[in-house]
Amino acid sequence: MAASDKKILTRLYVVAGGLFLFACVVVFKLVSIQMVNGEKYRDLAEKRTTKMFTIAPNRGNLISDDGSLLATSVSRYTIRFDAVTVKKEDFQENIKPLSAKLSELLGKPTSHYQQILRKAKANKNRYTLIARNLDYSDYMEVKKFPLFNKGPYKGGLIVEQKTVREHPLGKIAERSVGYENVDENGYYSGVGLERAFGEYLRGIEGKRLKQKIAKGQWKPIGWDNIVEPKDGYDLISTIDINIQDIAHHALLGQLEKYKADHGSVIVMERETGEVKAISNLGITKEGKYYERLNYAIGESHEPGSTFKLMNLVAALEDKIIDTSSVKDTGKGSWKIYRHRVKDTKHGGHGKISMAKAFEVSSNVAFAQMVHEGYKEKPSRYVNRLMSMNLGKEIGLPIKGEGKPLIRYPGDKGWSGLSLAQMAYGYEVSMTPLQTLTFYNAIANDGVMVKPRMIKEVKEWNKTIQKFDKEIINPSVCSRETAKQVQQLLKNVVEKKHGTGHRMYSPNFSMAGKTGTAQKNYQDKTSDKFGYISTFAGYFPADEPKYSCIVVIHEPDKSVGYYGADVSGPVFKSIAQKVYATSPLVDEVDMFQAKYAGLDNAYQEYFAEAQKKHSKVPNVKGMSGMDAVSILENLGLQVEIKGNGKVKKQSVSHGTDIKKSKKIVLELS
Amino acid sequence: MAGKSVLKRIDWLTVFIYLALLTIGWVNIYSSTFTDENLSIFDFSTLHGKQLFFIGVTFGAIILVLALEASFYERFSSVLYIIAMVLLLGLYPFGKTIAGATSWYDLGFFNLQPSELAKVATALALAKYLSDIQTDIKRRKDQLYAFLVLLIPVILIVPQPDPGSALVFFAMVFVIFREGLPLYYLGFAFLAVLVFITTLMFGTIWVSIFLALFIVLFLLLKRKTFKVPVFPMISIAVIAILFSLSVNFVFNNVFEQRHRDRFSLWLRLEKDPVKLEKIRKTIGYNTYQSEKAIESGGFFGKGFLEGTRTKGDFVPEQETDYIFSTVGEEWGFVGTTTVVLLFTLMLLRLVYLAERQKNPFSRMYGYGVISILFIHYFINIGMVIGILPTIGIPLPFFSYGGSGLLFFTILLFIFLKLDSNRLKEGI
Repeated sequence: MAASDKKILTRLYVVAGGLFLFACVVVFKLVSIQMVNGEKYRDLAEKRTTKMFTIAPNRGNLISDDGSLLATSVSRYTIRFDAVTVKKEDFQENIKPLSAKLSELLGKPTSHYQQILRKAKANKNRYTLIARNLDYSDYMEVKKFPLFNKGPYKGGLIVEQKTVREHPLGKIAERSVGYENVDENGYYSGVGLERAFGEYLRGIEGKRLKQKIAKGQWKPIGWDNIVEPKDGYDLISTIDINIQDIAHHALLGQLEKYKADHGSVIVMERETGEVKAISNLGITKEGKYYERLNYAIGESHEPGSTFKLMNLVAALEDKIIDTSSVKDTGKGSWKIYRHRVKDTKHGGHGKISMAKAFEVSSNVAFAQMVHEGYKEKPSRYVNRLMSMNLGKEIGLPIKGEGKPLIRYPGDKGWSGLSLAQMAYGYEVSMTPLQTLTFYNAIANDGVMVKPRMIKEVKEWNKTIQKFDKEIINPSVCSRETAKQVQQLLKNVVEKKHGTGHRMYSPNFSMAGKTGTAQKNYQDKTSDKFGYISTFAGYFPADEPKYSCIVVIHEPDKSVGYYGADVSGPVFKSIAQKVYATSPLVDEVDMFQAKYAGLDNAYQEYFAEAQKKHSKVPNVKGMSGMDAVSILENLGLQVEIKGNGKVKKQSVSHGTDIKKSKKIVLELS
Repeated sequence: MAGKSVLKRIDWLTVFIYLALLTIGWVNIYSSTFTDENLSIFDFSTLHGKQLFFIGVTFGAIILVLALEASFYERFSSVLYIIAMVLLLGLYPFGKTIAGATSWYDLGFFNLQPSELAKVATALALAKYLSDIQTDIKRRKDQLYAFLVLLIPVILIVPQPDPGSALVFFAMVFVIFREGLPLYYLGFAFLAVLVFITTLMFGTIWVSIFLALFIVLFLLLKRKTFKVPVFPMISIAVIAILFSLSVNFVFNNVFEQRHRDRFSLWLRLEKDPVKLEKIRKTIGYNTYQSEKAIESGGFFGKGFLEGTRTKGDFVPEQETDYIFSTVGEEWGFVGTTTVVLLFTLMLLRLVYLAERQKNPFSRMYGYGVISILFIHYFINIGMVIGILPTIGIPLPFFSYGGSGLLFFTILLFIFLKLDSNRLKEGI
């Protein structure tokens, strides 16, 4: 060998030294990362790898008085496709059968899905939308489809689950049921019962510590949740689905007939104040009606003649007049200052009693009564109205109750004309529900009960809280006064001269007051000028069970605008149907006789329902609810689209009935 | 007879370290491929099950290696070398491509990586050539031939592409160095690496200034004591500056962006912390994750099967090239230091064994073994803990993979066989 031993030894030391040096460098680096930085990074790693997860509780159900679901939470699935993770061979092999299956389930043609999938693959799209809002059974189907059955990585299936609020009854009472959202800061927003009783429905979020085990995958740590989630309570609403449905369709029909802007109807149980139905429909640009705003609760407006009841009660209580006091209404026009109060009847009513003045709704008589009776001391009048709880909000848990307006003398806007104006329902403002609450109090012999929409809060079968009848004012007026005006309210419908006589039916009794208020009357030639047609009252006239108000805004003037014409029929049709379904005990004898007077729709329903069917009946033209109940009783599975009356039935009438066969009804 | 004497004379310390590394290695493969499903450790559908099978095969190979006559390896080294080169060449038409590199033969259950065989064969062939009585390493021609022995496999392996494996062969220059290759070769190589790195870090101008300053200082200080080769020094400096300029050119025009990014990351060339972090998490993703895993281990580690980052498959390729990060996370500083010490101890022991050989072939082969094991150990651990750029080569005896384990073992045990035979040589 060429190199000498000594030289070799030196080289050897270099080698060994180099090895040792490297070991030192490695150890030094290990010390720095594992021990010096370690502490910091360990915390960081821990933070990144464990995370507190919240477990969403199930939101409670909203249930109607009769046990139907008004709102419930269900899972919905959105299917997306990751075209990158899927192998080319798998993709080529499965694209056709997959598209075929998708087409079968979702309806669009196979080529449509093929195109979507191919495009996704070409564009390397990792998040292609395939289908939205599938229900659980459809989702389970999709999971079994070719390619998708390979799972998220090989099959590229991306599933997003979300919980949505479903309204099994569709658009009915949608606005009153409402909704609730929560933003990222935990603030809740929303409307209706959902929002008002959100605290009960929401439940309590659970908490669970999870550890990151792979990208996007988290494994729970430990056996138990740190905080167990607590599901929301169920709410039993006072809403009665049958009455709600009747009210909804009756209102809808009338709004359509009069091409009105919007309207609302409330049906309330007289004794308890339970709201059995509340419907608000507004027109859209397309001319269709939807539950948009909660007019019944939120919209305060000049009530017009329905306010005469309040005035009459006030005057009777203050003993300013008697029902037999006579007022000279002359030729239907009375000048006060520079203003003219007019009656609608051409030529006027002449000399009439206050009772008749109420029944014919004479503006002149009422203006005279209030103006003359209180002009010396207008505050007495206002105080009286206030003592009848008219200036105050009812205090509903639902947000957005409209504020009533009753001015005190001296308030801004008060003038010498105010008394006369207020006498027939102007310069005051109330919401339909506030008006109804007063009418209900009269029907209740002066006991004012608070309207309620929730009966009970339940956790399964356990009652958490019961909402009992609340009395706002045990006596808004004396029993005698109440009795007196009850008779007059009855006469409005019963007497030939009554403004509500057009609604009269010999088969059932109603009591109430019409109102036709002008809206935007400052310029009667403007487009905005219109009417608010109201009918407020209760039924049956004796021992009333329900009170009800119907308010329709801006009916087409060329079709009609009087309260009795526009709103009255809604009231009547509700009274008629509700009456028929909830007979009073002492009227059972009369029950059979009443069918003669029932309107066609109900007869049709009843006739069909009574028949023994072996074939599918014709339900075209019936209201949706009626048709559904007939068909379901026959053992068919019914699916409805839209709302209103039945336009089309998927199984034609005369077909033999097969149990659990599906029938689709298209309503309009 | 032969077997008995082998057992008596084999260096048991090395065998012990080997077995220790093998065991720790398998335990960590088990951990990094372990799933919560209760599978038997012998389940060959799992990676750790397969590795256990390979270990069994390897033990069979050890017996075979030890059973053969020691002289066989010297005599047939050239033949083995030619076979290995043919196998490397055969990859081009017949090879199987895994992860973009055509480096394997598909033998059904087993994928054979001939570059692993080539390491053994090249170490033998180099030892054979250098130990030849006619070879004088001081001669340029012989130096060239020796380099050629190393260069042929490199040329065959680089285009597979597998630059990591190719790098291993360069490590065997160290054998030539041990046998008397003039030091200035190493000096040049060292200078080249230094210029390369400093150019990237500081730019050509600073490198030039630094070199000029160095020469001036050297001349001022050493002038009186001995004769200074002024002209060669200056020419070397000029070459270095030209090299520095070419580094810039190559870096900016020949390298691909991913290569540039690797260097940017390693030398922290990217000054914008946002961009650096981005590179860290893309190009440097593996290293970033493995560093995080090791960091999270702390002093004592999280414990066997408790490594959350290992379990969560945060570190890609963890059971192969990044197996050391499992050690770091689950066994902590104690574990990593133990592994580093075991490797260092083994290498130092092998240096000792090599130096006690009387037969130059055995010694030179021993250095070949040391070079190969060291370069793997150096680059792999350096990469995993982030002091070297990413070069994908396995950690010997540790990483998952049949070919690697088999040929590292054969490589080592041929030397142990030669060592056990050293006394007979003299007789």
